[in-house]
Amino acid sequence: MNTTTVSAAPVLHAGQTIRRADRRLGVFMLAPALLYITLLVALPFLLALFLSLTNSSAGSLEFSFVGLQNFKNVVASPVFRRALRNTFVFTFVSQAAVMVLGNVLARALMRPFFGKTLARFVILMPWAAPISLATLGWLWIFDSTFSVINWLLKVVGWLGPGQWYYWLGDTTLGMVAIITIHVWRMLPFSTVILLAGLTSIPNEVREASAIDGAGTLARIFQIEIPMMRPILTVAVLFGVVFTFTDMSVVYLLTRGGPYNSTHVLASLAFQDGVLGGDVGRGAAVAIFLVPVLVVLAIVMLRSSRRAEVV
Amino acid sequence: MQTRRQFVVRGTKLVAVGAVAAAAGPTIFVRDAKADGQLKILQWSHFVPAYDKWFDPWAKEWGAKRGVNVTVDHVGFADVVPRATAEVAAQSGHDVHMFLGLASAFEEHVIDLADVVAALEKKYGKQVELAHRSTYNPFTKKQFALSDMWVPDRGNYHKEVWSKIGMENGPSTYDDLVKAAPEIKKVAPQMQIPIGVGLSQDIDSNMAVRNILWCHGGSIQDKDGNVVLNSPETLRALEYTKKLYSVGMTQAVLSWNAASNNQAFNAQETAYILNSISAYRTAQDNKLPVLANYFFTPALKGPTGTQLASEHVMSGYVVWKFSKSQDLAKELLVALVDASRDSMLGSKLYNFPSFFGAAAEPNTPLNRKQESGAAWIAAQCNKDPFGSTPPDKLALLAKSLPWSTNLGYPGFANPAEGEIFDTYVLTDMFAKAATGALSPKDAMAEASTRAKQIFDKWRQKKMVPGGGKDK
Repeated sequence: MNTTTVSAAPVLHAGQTIRRADRRLGVFMLAPALLYITLLVALPFLLALFLSLTNSSAGSLEFSFVGLQNFKNVVASPVFRRALRNTFVFTFVSQAAVMVLGNVLARALMRPFFGKTLARFVILMPWAAPISLATLGWLWIFDSTFSVINWLLKVVGWLGPGQWYYWLGDTTLGMVAIITIHVWRMLPFSTVILLAGLTSIPNEVREASAIDGAGTLARIFQIEIPMMRPILTVAVLFGVVFTFTDMSVVYLLTRGGPYNSTHVLASLAFQDGVLGGDVGRGAAVAIFLVPVLVVLAIVMLRSSRRAEVV
Repeated sequence: MQTRRQFVVRGTKLVAVGAVAAAAGPTIFVRDAKADGQLKILQWSHFVPAYDKWFDPWAKEWGAKRGVNVTVDHVGFADVVPRATAEVAAQSGHDVHMFLGLASAFEEHVIDLADVVAALEKKYGKQVELAHRSTYNPFTKKQFALSDMWVPDRGNYHKEVWSKIGMENGPSTYDDLVKAAPEIKKVAPQMQIPIGVGLSQDIDSNMAVRNILWCHGGSIQDKDGNVVLNSPETLRALEYTKKLYSVGMTQAVLSWNAASNNQAFNAQETAYILNSISAYRTAQDNKLPVLANYFFTPALKGPTGTQLASEHVMSGYVVWKFSKSQDLAKELLVALVDASRDSMLGSKLYNFPSFFGAAAEPNTPLNRKQESGAAWIAAQCNKDPFGSTPPDKLALLAKSLPWSTNLGYPGFANPAEGEIFDTYVLTDMFAKAATGALSPKDAMAEASTRAKQIFDKWRQKKMVPGGGKDK
């Protein structure tokens, strides 16, 4: 008995020490990530919230509180309302296109064919290309005076004399151009993720479904997509958040034109806050991104957790 | 013996120390270098690349004579303001920052250059009025920037096309553009855009719409800083633009960037644009077919005879308060004005001196320096040293001062005018009215509301006058 008691005590003590040390190490290992989030996410966010309530300008470190005046002005602005609408259109249309096209490409890349390695390399190129460089190329493709697409359409007889598409001079065509470039840019990432998801499904499952008489559509919608749900969630969450906060394509391609009609919230915040120097107004515009992103993140993470439980 | 945990902890410590050292290093080294005599200049990438090839060695040579290490960093014109914003926020960066338009929004963070201007005026006589109005705030009485040069903004017309419609000297009034557009379509159907006046969110369009507004009697502010955009004159300018757009322009002009009108004219896709001579120099350098038909007009006249055009570029050099080399920076700016002749030639006659007297013949008495400088400038324009045919093709540039004015006309340039410029309030108004997206009246009301919000904000900061007579 005594021996047991004496020998048990040091074992318990050692376990506690290890747990405590592990906890310390855990905190220590997490610290860089926490520090990163605090310094580069939380603090700038709180600063933006603070600045949105002031009349702060780019060329000045002095400001006074103006309450909700920036928000009132912003909401009353037709340019802002248009940008808000564009942000949703830009995000959801481009993400829908990316998911559909990504699925098609991933399925194509699963099959063996000649030149598959080269095809994969070419598909990945847009992801690797710097967006500023790529958009300059697209700028020429969609140029209102020298558009390559238009010249091609002329040659094949689609456009008659006097007919011309002003890709960047028309509100609707401008948005089409912006979404096209963004889809081109996001497609490789989605394709790779979906390809990983598809290859992770055991072949036995597909074979069993074939034996049970499932057709192609039934296999895709009732077996593969449910099984890929966690990975699809990651792809959609990343894509939506990335697109919702992106301004590079708009800024490089249309600069929000014609007449400020193709802005998204991020590009409008940049125009007002950095180019125009009205930091308070720019922060107010940017703050409108937050509630949507929070809701999106919660929805996506919940659906992801549910999928994991299943 | 080292356990895995010890290795991780020690390794992390090493990385942390390394990161801190790496982050602090540049700051420490930069400060030491500045103390040894370093001057950092942020300069735009000039629209005529030859200028950069002149400026950079010139600045370095100037520094070398004084034992100062001069660094020149170039950014695209669109990055000049964002870069300034970042440097102000960091309270660190270059000593001298060159603005193309209005530096007035940064007034609080720059030193007063009144002594530099006073010294230069003592040496060369008064600077041109539009340079004064672009770099001085009469409300705060601060000389926040120094202009060494400005650029005339005149029309470029296609000689052959305009000759075919009986106007071989090009247009002289805004009404001429409306009359000519249908005729140009007939004689040059291959041209996509008969009249290429930009209505987009870019620097050239921003100037073009101001020209139209002013020549129709309108303006954003009056001479005392009251917002007067909401006026019958503005409405008239918008209705004119709507008409011009319907007869002579296409949606292409709504999407143009700073290079687009140059490219369209150089490709002979338009018969008239508003621009500086950079597009012409590009055509010369590349020996483009359009060259023989490349000719120029002065600013066009409005319905009541008003003839005005915005400067195309107005340099505004500022010296940041956080600079540790302020005296050196001031010396550099004086030297830059001293070199006005070289600067004009280095830019292939793109830059016009803000101090005409600085281009005077040596040993000219002060009271005759401006006249002498103007004569030298005219001599260059009358016989272009860079190979124009005929040699006097650029002669009208020498007479551009009377019809050139500053952003903010008829008042001084100020931060509110700058913000309206940078957020495209006017181009937005003109484009909406021209395309019918809004009626001219609604477009004017929308822009006027925004202009008043911007002016009110800057008035609260006590940097802009007026307000009592806003319309």
